[in-house]
Amino acid sequence: MLDTAAPPAPVARPSLAALAPPGELDVVEALVDPLDRFCRDRIDPRENDRRKSIPADVLDGLKEMGLFGLSLPESHGGCGLGLWATGSIAAVIARRDRSVATTLGLHLGLGTRGLVRYGSADQQDRYLPRLASGEILAAFATTEPAAGSDLSALRCTLSEVEGALALRGQKCFVTNGGLASLYTVSTRSPGLGGMRKGQTLVLVERGDAGVCVGAEEDKLGLRASSTTMLDFDDVALGAERILGPVGQGAACLQHILAYGRTVMAFGCTGTAHAALAATRNHCSVRVQFGRTLDQLAVVREQLADMEAKLFAIEALVRWAATDESKLEWRSLAAKVLASDLSGEIVDTALQLHGGYGFIEETGIALLARDARITRIFEGANDVLRVHRGLFALTQAPEGPQAARCRDAIGEARARLGTRLLGDHVTLHRLGSLAMLADAATAALQRADHEGTPEARALAARWLRLSMSYALCLGGES
Amino acid sequence: MIAPATEARIYKILSDLSAVPQQQIKRGDRLREDLGLDSVSSMELVSMLSEEFSIDVELEEAVRITDVAGLLALAENRIGDA
Repeated sequence: MLDTAAPPAPVARPSLAALAPPGELDVVEALVDPLDRFCRDRIDPRENDRRKSIPADVLDGLKEMGLFGLSLPESHGGCGLGLWATGSIAAVIARRDRSVATTLGLHLGLGTRGLVRYGSADQQDRYLPRLASGEILAAFATTEPAAGSDLSALRCTLSEVEGALALRGQKCFVTNGGLASLYTVSTRSPGLGGMRKGQTLVLVERGDAGVCVGAEEDKLGLRASSTTMLDFDDVALGAERILGPVGQGAACLQHILAYGRTVMAFGCTGTAHAALAATRNHCSVRVQFGRTLDQLAVVREQLADMEAKLFAIEALVRWAATDESKLEWRSLAAKVLASDLSGEIVDTALQLHGGYGFIEETGIALLARDARITRIFEGANDVLRVHRGLFALTQAPEGPQAARCRDAIGEARARLGTRLLGDHVTLHRLGSLAMLADAATAALQRADHEGTPEARALAARWLRLSMSYALCLGGES
Repeated sequence: MIAPATEARIYKILSDLSAVPQQQIKRGDRLREDLGLDSVSSMELVSMLSEEFSIDVELEEAVRITDVAGLLALAENRIGDA
């Protein structure tokens, strides 16, 4: 049997200094080593996957390190860290166990972002201290049986009945659903606030009368994380539970989703890092044709591509996280490419492990199962490509590889005129090209920051790979 | 002033996209808050309008439309130009 206990060959740790906002680097660097140790010593990802839950002592350990308050304000017991630092910590955990990273990341991102950004002083005083300590967990409920990417199709309704608010409907695929005590819930709220088709966010407590938490879903991956349905059977809510402006929940959602999907994208870099480390290790000990695999040119090429892709997505997620004013569109490329490319990295890892990748023992199969959902949740990748395409029409991408995208936009505008706005196939393609331009910008910025020959070589390799993706999209003009 | 028949055709497009009955759509309605259209379907709306009336709309102009009144003004302007 292959010796899988051998220490993994070193894979360059993401250079935290690259694109770090002032003041956050020191905090994250101080956390990384103890957290890494904690993850190795206390988290057993395959055991968690088998038992379909995270042991209480693991969650307690993360609480003791203060991680449940990372992104929450210091005024309420949190660490007050920004998106860059929060995501970087989520990535460290994801290297060990994506289910644990998802549980924490959801709490720090989608689960609490609405409260941090739009919560009233009373709401923040009531919930944030307990959320920051990890005493209670947060979840975010927006997907419904008939409303996935199409959030305009929400059926869960907030209505006013005899002067009181009532919530009725159903949410599905709620990450942390079975663990959380506080849910941020998106609703349609016809008539409220003078808006006929407005949407409103509300805070719902698990103990509210009429809230029913469903059974845990049996999933392909992220099996140790909690995913449930939520039923709201005429839940009576006071006006103090409304989060943000009445009727304008859709606008609030844009920010919350952009923030949450960026935290999730950081997690993808952790998964990719784990896959590459395991594969380098395997290829350094597995002998075929009289040589270790990493001495075979074809294998070396694939390892180099994996490393270049990892370099690119690490750069991209940090680039997205450093400027909140551009987060709504930068997060699109970060989420889509981090999930797509980490999926490719994991798939190559499985291939290079041969039969060993197909059995659970090496942990690659678990990485593959865990990675698959990331292209679907927090905004399906195809939908986000269309969104990026629309953004690109009015904010043409900039940077070294943007000319290809700008040419494609010009050609599409000339060919379709205004019809381009409704041509989702073309917008999808333009969005894909714009995302590649975003990734090129981020990779080159990272290479400049790091200033090493290795970083420049990885950026150059990514640009070559990026060219081949663009050619597949017909963006060679 | 936009012709009543043209206005009715625009309301029909709005109704098809938003599933709000045509008779309930008013000039003062906001595309997102009253008709439930998100950014993608708002752009689709402008695209459908351009096809229906064979007019061309600048993309920068299209993204600035947030309500039915703005849409009618745009149509009136462009159909007049056409």
